[in-house]
Amino acid sequence: MKRWASTAAFALLAALAIAGPGPLGLSDGQVAPPYSKPGWLDSSIAPSIELRVGAGESAAAAISWGYSAPLRVSLTGALGETGLVKWVTPSGDFVLSQTPGEMDLDARDIPFKRALGISPFENMPSALFPSRGEYALSLEGSGDVVMRIEGGRWGLLGTDHRGRDMAALFVRGLRVSLIVGIAATLIATLLGLSLGLLSGYAGGFTDALVMRAVDVLLSIPTLPILMVIAGIWGKSLWNLVVILSIFSWMGTARTVRAMTLTLRDASWVEGLRAIGARRNYILFRHLVPETLPLLLANVALGVPGAILAEAGLSFLGLSDPRLPSWGRMLHDAHMFGAFASGAWWSILPAGIGISVICLMFLDIGRKLEERADPRLAAETKQKAIEEAGA
Amino acid sequence: MTAPLKRIGGSLVVLAVVLALNFFLFRVMPGDPLTSIVDPRFSPEAKAELASQWGLDRPLSEQFVVYVREMLSFRFGLSMMTGAPVWDELKRRVPNTVALLLPALVLSASLGIWLGVKAALNRGSTVERVVLWSGTVSFSFPSFFVQILLLMCFAYFWRIFPLSGTTSIPPPTGGAAAIDYIWHLALPLFSLVVMGFGGFALYIRNMMVKALGEEYVLMARARGLPFRRVVWNHAFRSILPPVLTILLLSLPGVVSGAVITETVFSMNGVGRFLLEATNSHDYPAAGAAFFCLALLTVGCNLLADAAYVLVDPRVRREGSRE
Repeated sequence: MKRWASTAAFALLAALAIAGPGPLGLSDGQVAPPYSKPGWLDSSIAPSIELRVGAGESAAAAISWGYSAPLRVSLTGALGETGLVKWVTPSGDFVLSQTPGEMDLDARDIPFKRALGISPFENMPSALFPSRGEYALSLEGSGDVVMRIEGGRWGLLGTDHRGRDMAALFVRGLRVSLIVGIAATLIATLLGLSLGLLSGYAGGFTDALVMRAVDVLLSIPTLPILMVIAGIWGKSLWNLVVILSIFSWMGTARTVRAMTLTLRDASWVEGLRAIGARRNYILFRHLVPETLPLLLANVALGVPGAILAEAGLSFLGLSDPRLPSWGRMLHDAHMFGAFASGAWWSILPAGIGISVICLMFLDIGRKLEERADPRLAAETKQKAIEEAGA
Repeated sequence: MTAPLKRIGGSLVVLAVVLALNFFLFRVMPGDPLTSIVDPRFSPEAKAELASQWGLDRPLSEQFVVYVREMLSFRFGLSMMTGAPVWDELKRRVPNTVALLLPALVLSASLGIWLGVKAALNRGSTVERVVLWSGTVSFSFPSFFVQILLLMCFAYFWRIFPLSGTTSIPPPTGGAAAIDYIWHLALPLFSLVVMGFGGFALYIRNMMVKALGEEYVLMARARGLPFRRVVWNHAFRSILPPVLTILLLSLPGVVSGAVITETVFSMNGVGRFLLEATNSHDYPAAGAAFFCLALLTVGCNLLADAAYVLVDPRVRREGSRE
């Protein structure tokens, strides 16, 4: 059970990332007031709902309202020649509109307030929702009207500073994290594999050159370079993947080189050479498959690094602003005053998402490593036995 | 060539690569550097005038020589945003970054060593579990997330630390200034230590477990030496060189972390300066800030190398033999 937990979690997250927010009924774009609380959090706050009357719907929509006044109220749709929209409250009725044609009214508009006999300085939602009780939106004549009532809570995870659904952003961000993490690590692993093979098998000057490059790249702080490159090249997703992979192949190259060095002089490789196998044949039919299991583990162990780097760059604002990612969500939360609004729900999902996905890949990587190198597994088992004894 | 000299040579190579990267990143990649700075509606004559003013009409090799000379003498030119010399801006920020990173490195390394050794001595104890977990956490939690959480807890919900800045505005004078500075530094420093010690502790625990199993440790115990002495003077002494290697390898990450930490806490350091310069396409300033961060890394590298000579007798002997 525990063995497969990470793999199962990975499958689940991958499915979620591929499906996207659509099938879950989540929509991108502005859905509720900025920094709405998660729906389940505080049931005394008004929720965000839509009331529809007219074409295809019944002529009246009733709700029972048990909260304080909502933050925003707006009306959209169209009225026919003799149409009239009425708002029925426990303490009196309002005629919201009887002008034929297209309608786009917002409770913040002063003409709208005037038309209803409300002072321009008064808060219209609290005038429309004077107390708790039964309310109804009713339509007389022909027409098609939608009334949006926006309260202070929304959905599963609330909304961000632009009123976008955090749950939809979260699913979108998951996709970005997985794409960047896996693509960058795959490219980096391919780079590392080829350079490691080259360096280990060729030896001599090539080897010295590659290893020197590894040393140098390992002792330069990479984040500033990535920032500068992202700033110059542009901030698209694939640019990010390329620059991340350019600066993370070093570990794999070292591992592959070490393996190639030991394999190169193994007696079975010498035998292959003795029967006249060409270099490419030995490299690609024997050495590469030999390194493959460890490489797979390397990929899984490398993904957290790439995801963290991507999140870091996005957090610094160096990612495509149109593309929601977890780093970007934290960037927005930090930049647009999530603290000042106490909006912890705009911080926790993205951060926990990054951490969980990294933990998951670390776990998968360790398991693959144990598979690839049974000695490691034996060591772990030995340790478990020692710990049980201690 | 002696070993220390070889290491200094290595650092010089790193510095050369940094200089070359810095030069080519800004000059060669997107074609003409002028296009990114100058309004495209400028007349060709005005562009040529600007190019000659900035020395961009000379051959690339000549530009490179001039550039290296300027960089090494800290003449970074004028900022495109403020028009002030970049070095004047940086000079005020470098101490702030050093004041953040150096204590963070020292504290997290010492905490890591102490906990790592403790964990290796008490297998299966709570300390070991803490070490194993903190190691995993430091590899998988984004530092800025932890920092934002800390800010949220200790600066917003429970207001005992400032939300942002390096000093209060206006800055206090006299002895209060130092206290104010430390008060602003506390939360970033704490976050760096919390995120940093786990990696060290995990490595040190693993190496110490191996070292404690060696026969010379058994021998030392058999000779009746005090346990503390065996642990620290025999076992720990033998793993010091690899500990230094890990310290060395973690340096670039620590310096990279400065950019993020300074951004989260809005501190007045080189890292945030680099971010601001990059965002406003102020290339002289961004290049200079990157150079300063790389120089900081190389400098720490050299310090660690010097410590190597002190710690590893093999390096010393190798040096004297040749």
